[in-house]
Amino acid sequence: MADPFTLPLRPVVEKSDRPDTLPVEIAQINEQWGNFRNVNEEVLLSKLAEEEEYGGNVDSDENDDKKDMDTTERKEELYKKRAEITQFAMASHMETMFALDFVSLLLSKHAPRQAETSMSAFLKQVAPVGSLNSEVVHPPPKPESANKDIATVSRGWRIQNFNSAANKLLGAASRLEKEVEAETKYWNSVLAVKDQGWKISRLPRERQSLGVQYGFLEATPAFRDRGLASLRRANDGSLVLDQGLVPTGSRFVRVRMKRGSKVTGCTKAGTTSSDADSIEQRILQARDSVFEDELFHELVREARSMASFGVTTRQNLIQIPAADDLEILLDLVDANDDSLSIEEESSHHDSILADGVAHSMRILLSFAHRQNLHRRTQIPPPLTPKRRPNPEYHLLRPALAYLQHISQARYLESFIHDITGTLRSSGFQFPESTSKMFSNWKSSHQLSSANALESLVSSSLQPIESVFQGNLLMPNSSFTVRMKTNMSFPPFGSQYDVSFNLPSISDLKSPGNLNLREEVEAAIAHLLLLDVVMKVSSTPKDENEKASSTSSNNQDSKWWIPIYPHMGELLLTYNHPEKHKKMRITLSREQLSLETYLVRNIDGVSIGATEDRSLDSNTKIWKLQHSPDSPNQHSSAMAFAVAESSS
Amino acid sequence: MHELLLFASVPTHQHEELLQQLAGLTAMQPRHCLERRLIFKAYRKPGLANARVGASQDLQSGDLQRVNKMLNGGMFYTQVVGPVHTSDFADAGVTPDAPTSSNNDANANPSPADPDTKMDGMDESTAIPTSTYDFDQQSWNLEFRDIPEAGTRSAVTARVMASAALPRGDIVPSMNAWGYSFVTEYLVEGDMFVHNDIVIYLHRVLHYPNSPGEEREPRHQLPAFQQMSPLEKSGSYVLQASITVQDGSNQETMKTASQHLFGLREQLKSAVRLEMADRLSLDTRAK
Repeated sequence: MADPFTLPLRPVVEKSDRPDTLPVEIAQINEQWGNFRNVNEEVLLSKLAEEEEYGGNVDSDENDDKKDMDTTERKEELYKKRAEITQFAMASHMETMFALDFVSLLLSKHAPRQAETSMSAFLKQVAPVGSLNSEVVHPPPKPESANKDIATVSRGWRIQNFNSAANKLLGAASRLEKEVEAETKYWNSVLAVKDQGWKISRLPRERQSLGVQYGFLEATPAFRDRGLASLRRANDGSLVLDQGLVPTGSRFVRVRMKRGSKVTGCTKAGTTSSDADSIEQRILQARDSVFEDELFHELVREARSMASFGVTTRQNLIQIPAADDLEILLDLVDANDDSLSIEEESSHHDSILADGVAHSMRILLSFAHRQNLHRRTQIPPPLTPKRRPNPEYHLLRPALAYLQHISQARYLESFIHDITGTLRSSGFQFPESTSKMFSNWKSSHQLSSANALESLVSSSLQPIESVFQGNLLMPNSSFTVRMKTNMSFPPFGSQYDVSFNLPSISDLKSPGNLNLREEVEAAIAHLLLLDVVMKVSSTPKDENEKASSTSSNNQDSKWWIPIYPHMGELLLTYNHPEKHKKMRITLSREQLSLETYLVRNIDGVSIGATEDRSLDSNTKIWKLQHSPDSPNQHSSAMAFAVAESSS
Repeated sequence: MHELLLFASVPTHQHEELLQQLAGLTAMQPRHCLERRLIFKAYRKPGLANARVGASQDLQSGDLQRVNKMLNGGMFYTQVVGPVHTSDFADAGVTPDAPTSSNNDANANPSPADPDTKMDGMDESTAIPTSTYDFDQQSWNLEFRDIPEAGTRSAVTARVMASAALPRGDIVPSMNAWGYSFVTEYLVEGDMFVHNDIVIYLHRVLHYPNSPGEEREPRHQLPAFQQMSPLEKSGSYVLQASITVQDGSNQETMKTASQHLFGLREQLKSAVRLEMADRLSLDTRAK
């Protein structure tokens, strides 16, 4: 066996024309080389090199053999080798059998029956069962030096192992120490959070971790469930507030006031504390954010239901036309966004208004939460297939009602002030009118302290009422305008209840409920006109008696008779039918005018002492004077009437 | 209306703990309830003739049939419930029989083994005007409960129920006029929770100090609350979870309701075992 000789024991792999499919090839490779995992470059390279070596040799051998061996010789060689192989196999078989016999014989001492089965027949013949035994033989003692060596080596090994074990233990100890430190820090901060009054509980879905409840139990379920965040431990033991997928960062609902196209008032973000990274601050911020998110959600919901008031909603903006040219813009913005803090030309008043709206929305949302709790703890109604409706909260409507109401009330107040001022500037002693704004709010609620807050807030959900009252020129006559603004339930908007007491005109009925302020203006102007007409016509009974009796004391004591008081017309009768004189009074906000003319006046007698601009008519106008002093440079309206009557 | 119920027995020592657990579960504070419950029994008024007096079938109109059915239908016990407050009870320091009883043992219990003092102590209620209880202003609610439905597969007690508000004050004349006679009264003390649609009522029955059956009409004055003795001597409570369904014929809602109850049963599994009650123990029929 000097030269290597390989015999192909496997069938020759023939290269087929068509390539094997990949799975087949993979299976083949698996069979041939074992798992792919064991195949790496190194193995492949070594195999390749080995094969190269073998192949080279084989090739060269073959080349050599081909030269000097013909077929018969090759055959002979083949047979010879084959015989050799068989011989080897036989020999090995024999040796194996011998070994088996030996072991069997040896074992037959202890387990004769079992050993007998593996004994060859020949052995059974020649050797009796159990004739061979084995014994442990003590080896001769080793020399001292070898023993010493072994002891040293084993000692070295042991020391090494001890060392590594000690290192591992120390490592574990320090790791444990660090862990304990971290845990202590974590639990201390958890306790600190708990001591501050936050509710700590296990997470419902993740039983092994802790969570802190900061949300509002009575909020809409989506936001209620967001009010729970897990308290995780960072590697160094510091507390991490894990809010899951909810975006962190504080947001708030910004309220802006817009007049025309100018933003005139804007709320600012809440104060951010200096140590914004402390866990308490993080929790507070998370709570504020979830509150603000819910607030905006509810605002959008409410705004959608208020589309009939002209409220428009976009993705992140609510526009509410409030009153007059005032528009409220609501949006949810990031509190830390610096680009928001651009100073607009803001008026102080509108900023306060914006702040007020913002606060009222938040108070009302908290109030709605309380109402939810109240409703939830009542005995529920029987179960029906219908789902209970989830009405929108009243967050915007009270603010809107307030703004509208105050705008309308101011308008009405100024109107009454102006028109009475016009009358005063014309010399009438018009009594002051009184206005009671928000009269239904001012009736103080004497309630128990527990409910005082809630009843205070719920009173703001009621319709707002203001009352304007005043006496008229005529004795025992007065007027009252009761104004109600209501945004919560229909009829929406402002309603005016105008009532008056005017005994001098008995058939006059109060106009009752009016919805437009123009109508109210007209009603009041008309009422005052009637009052003036009656005043003019009634004067002689008291003061003209003494005034005109001194002057003329004429026989017919002619005076103005209100013939068409609703038209503001009075008549001065004469004996002569051609000389009837008529006075027409018109009253508006800015001016009072008295116009006299002759009815069927044909002769063109000049009348009156004052300006006679035309032949047959005489007009006097009193304008509204904004400066209260300086009674009038002209004569009063009464003097004009007196003069006209006596002319 | 239908009512679906599950019950559990709660021993006294578990009461406090269960209250806290329920408060946590329902996220609300327990609402303490005290209810006077008067039991009335229906009876057939004598002299009510059977309407079928020799008339042929076709003459009996539908209305008459209905009236007949009502008159001759089953008779039921029904109860009248009146909510009261703790302040309605007499002061604890004043024992009702103290002025009248000649016994010098100053135990607060009106001794039940002393019927004589009780008998001549009938005016005891007038002797102690300490409480602010005004019987004439007591509001009442009539609550009718049918016997639970039989043969239901579901593991909840389901029964027909109805309730109606009654006039204030003395209710017995009205009830008599409707064909009910007063049987007895007791007090139910407990705490109520609301968990979504489920009303959880943890309560127990209290007896008035006098032995029951003595009174022929509802009390006009209430004794001291401390003198009330629990029906169950150990003082254990009953946990009742109920849910009302508007339309009992709607299988869908009934199923939803019982699933809600089962959900609650699962949630409370580690604390109490809620189960359906024995049907015959809730039998309200008057034999």
